[in-house]
Amino acid sequence: MNSFKIFLSSAVFSFRAQFDWLNPAMWLTMKFVLSLSQMAFFVFVGIFAQADVRFIAIGNALQSVSWNTVFSVINITGHDKWDGTLTLVLATPASRLPLFIGRAMIHVFDGILSAAISFFFAAFIFGVNFARTNVAALIVAVILTAFTMAGFGLLIGGFCFFFRNPMVFANIFTFALLIFCGVNFPVQNLPTAIQPFSYIFPLTYGLTAARNAIMGQDLIQIAPTLVLQLAVGVALMLIGYLLFRSFENNARKTGKVEAV
Amino acid sequence: MVESGLRHDRGSGKAIVAEHLCKVFNVTRGIMHRTKSQVVAVKDVSFEVDYGELFGVVGPNGAGKTTTIKMLTTMLLPTSGKALVLGYDCTKEVTKVRERIGIVLGGERGLYTRVSAVDNLNYFADLYGVPRNIRDKRVKELLDFMGLSERAHNRVETYSKGMKQRLHLARGLINDPDIIFLDEPTVGLDPEISIETRRMIKELVDKGKTILLTTHYMFEADELCKRVAVIRNGEIVALDTPSGLKKYVMDTSVVEVEGYGITEKEVAKFREVPDVMSVSAELGEDKQVLKLQTPKGSEIIAEVQQILKNSRIYDIKIKEPTLEDAYLRLVEG
Amino acid sequence: MPETFRVIYSAFRMAMLHWIADPQWVIPNIIAPFVFTTVALTLFRDSTGPFGLYAVLGGGMMGMWGNTVYSSGFAIEFEKWQGTLEEVIVAPSKLIHVITGRAISNALFGLTNMIAILVIAVAGFRVSLGISDPLMFAASLLLTLLSVSALGLIFASAFVLSRSAQALTNGLETPLYIVSGSMFPIALLPFWIHPAAYVLGPTWGIDAIRLATSADYVSQSFWAGLSPNIAIFLDLTIMILITLAYVLIATVLFKLVEKRARITGTMVEA
Repeated sequence: MNSFKIFLSSAVFSFRAQFDWLNPAMWLTMKFVLSLSQMAFFVFVGIFAQADVRFIAIGNALQSVSWNTVFSVINITGHDKWDGTLTLVLATPASRLPLFIGRAMIHVFDGILSAAISFFFAAFIFGVNFARTNVAALIVAVILTAFTMAGFGLLIGGFCFFFRNPMVFANIFTFALLIFCGVNFPVQNLPTAIQPFSYIFPLTYGLTAARNAIMGQDLIQIAPTLVLQLAVGVALMLIGYLLFRSFENNARKTGKVEAV
Repeated sequence: MVESGLRHDRGSGKAIVAEHLCKVFNVTRGIMHRTKSQVVAVKDVSFEVDYGELFGVVGPNGAGKTTTIKMLTTMLLPTSGKALVLGYDCTKEVTKVRERIGIVLGGERGLYTRVSAVDNLNYFADLYGVPRNIRDKRVKELLDFMGLSERAHNRVETYSKGMKQRLHLARGLINDPDIIFLDEPTVGLDPEISIETRRMIKELVDKGKTILLTTHYMFEADELCKRVAVIRNGEIVALDTPSGLKKYVMDTSVVEVEGYGITEKEVAKFREVPDVMSVSAELGEDKQVLKLQTPKGSEIIAEVQQILKNSRIYDIKIKEPTLEDAYLRLVEG
Repeated sequence: MPETFRVIYSAFRMAMLHWIADPQWVIPNIIAPFVFTTVALTLFRDSTGPFGLYAVLGGGMMGMWGNTVYSSGFAIEFEKWQGTLEEVIVAPSKLIHVITGRAISNALFGLTNMIAILVIAVAGFRVSLGISDPLMFAASLLLTLLSVSALGLIFASAFVLSRSAQALTNGLETPLYIVSGSMFPIALLPFWIHPAAYVLGPTWGIDAIRLATSADYVSQSFWAGLSPNIAIFLDLTIMILITLAYVLIATVLFKLVEKRARITGTMVEA
């Protein structure tokens, strides 16, 4: 089976699995209600705290990719183990890398869709002014953020092979982004000791790039940030892949897949 | 254990009365095209159980045994018919019935595995309203009776299957019920544990409890029950004492043929033989076993050899019919 | 017929035992409230105002919501997963009493978020929090907890009666945070959302809790111009009435749940 076919079937499988676990009603709820209410919550807190509401709205708009690229990816990967299908998957001769990445792909597209909807909310419900936006640059920033955050999701998902409960990790990492990535307030507002951690997340770079694009900067101007983001994203994905392989080898040696 | 007699009887004289019980389920299938259909789990079941009796209900899977028990224990509303337990109506006087019966549904469930046996029993004692001053004493007695005292404070998940079964039973007795419903109590248990369980069931009857037991092990029904109702396809096809039921097949012997190379073709041929009342076949890979019920006895051997001339015959035995044979005859028609 | 309070207490105790056995299961439900509150604290830091009242107390409120929506919502299903549902139903105790015990314990665990936030607020953000009326504070907190539990009962029965209701869990939490006035005054919300806020018992409860914490708050509460004591009394009265309505609704829903179970043989809509 060639790599592309593996990639495609892995992606479709992941999508179907998600629909099984998240039925269509839930999918719709998550798409619209979740992002809108999260943005609304922080916007109102921001109003009360006399903070920069525009900053908050944009931040939450881009962060919405993480529900798909992080939360769903971690759970799908985690579920594989617990549904007992992992042994079967590992037993196939399919080449590993396309399999591994294919799984996350559908969530990338789903994530981009989430972001688009959320930006729509930011503009039309919370009145954020997008007049000066360089649309091409913003689109690239959003797409790249979705891809690189999927890499992050795969990494954490891979980590979950060694632990029991993917749901705990999915929750922790999706929400942690709200604190670390400059979503609701600049990274500089965090205690100095903590700030370096923000730069592990591709979303941090994505937000910087997106905010600049909205202020009118073009693709060339935001390129350095995007390059950094890409580098971090690829690095995370590779580490995740290595973890996945090491888990597979560990499973072969110890005979334990399902029993961790 | 507290002796109990007719503490709660309403005067009907019978512990359990099932009168033309019927249960129909509406089933909806499919996601895109929803088709509705009806499943008749129990067509028409009527019987009565006396106080202090150990009454058995046997039948194949899906015959309606569990559904019947659920109707008698207030878990299901009958579609039609009446169910009376201790004289109380299972449909209308639900709480009164629930207070006075014990139910053990068997299987690896019915217990909170992450807490201890004592906590489980105390909890259910509270749900059954067992008076506080009696509760602790009774929990201790039950644990002693079941041989679980030493491990009483360990989590149930650390228990063996047999221990869980005994705890299950203890939970079913927590309110000192007059009537106990046991649904397939020994299914999936090792032989020694099953023997132990049956011994305990007999002890409970000796103490004056009324027990209704479902099982698909005929020898168990034979050993324990005073009377047995045989259920097939939601209806009772026979209701009698075990020896009464065996009379169905008394006129016959069971000829057991063990061989190799026997297929469905041969089995079908046997079914056509006029004096063969029923054929049951176990067609394994390494060997096949046929059981023929026939009044002919040893005279059938010639025919057996004829039909199986292309197969290998290892052994032929002629046996007395058991309750199982009677059951097979009743159930397979 | 077993005594109501005994059943409730016993179910509460059983939930506690399960929590002690597996404390980690609470975590997923409290992470969102914890993170949301921490973000709010950070946003509040550079501004002036009684934000401690919102961040800490609101954080506790949100913790209660978070755990109630999920844990109470799935309370009946929890019995199913344990394999104990049929045994619990067939006991003479009422199912609603059993689930009440569980719902109260869930709200209580959710309240632990308040302690986590308090630690961070005092240590990291130098928020100081004194309580001006400890007795009323405790009473208001307790009653609010009971109000949240009553809502948990509605979730528990609704989720079993309808699979679509379950699908809403994912979307229910954050709107509740907004509408309950946990982290900001309801006055900031568009007027057409206000009815939704007032219909929630806990919204009045948290107003009372804030009043009991700081007497100065009364000008921002629902009862500007009245004395704090009267304001608290009004808040609590309204909350109790609303909670009684919740209990009534839940009672009806539970009857439907049991009736459906006895007719179809299953608890959850297929």
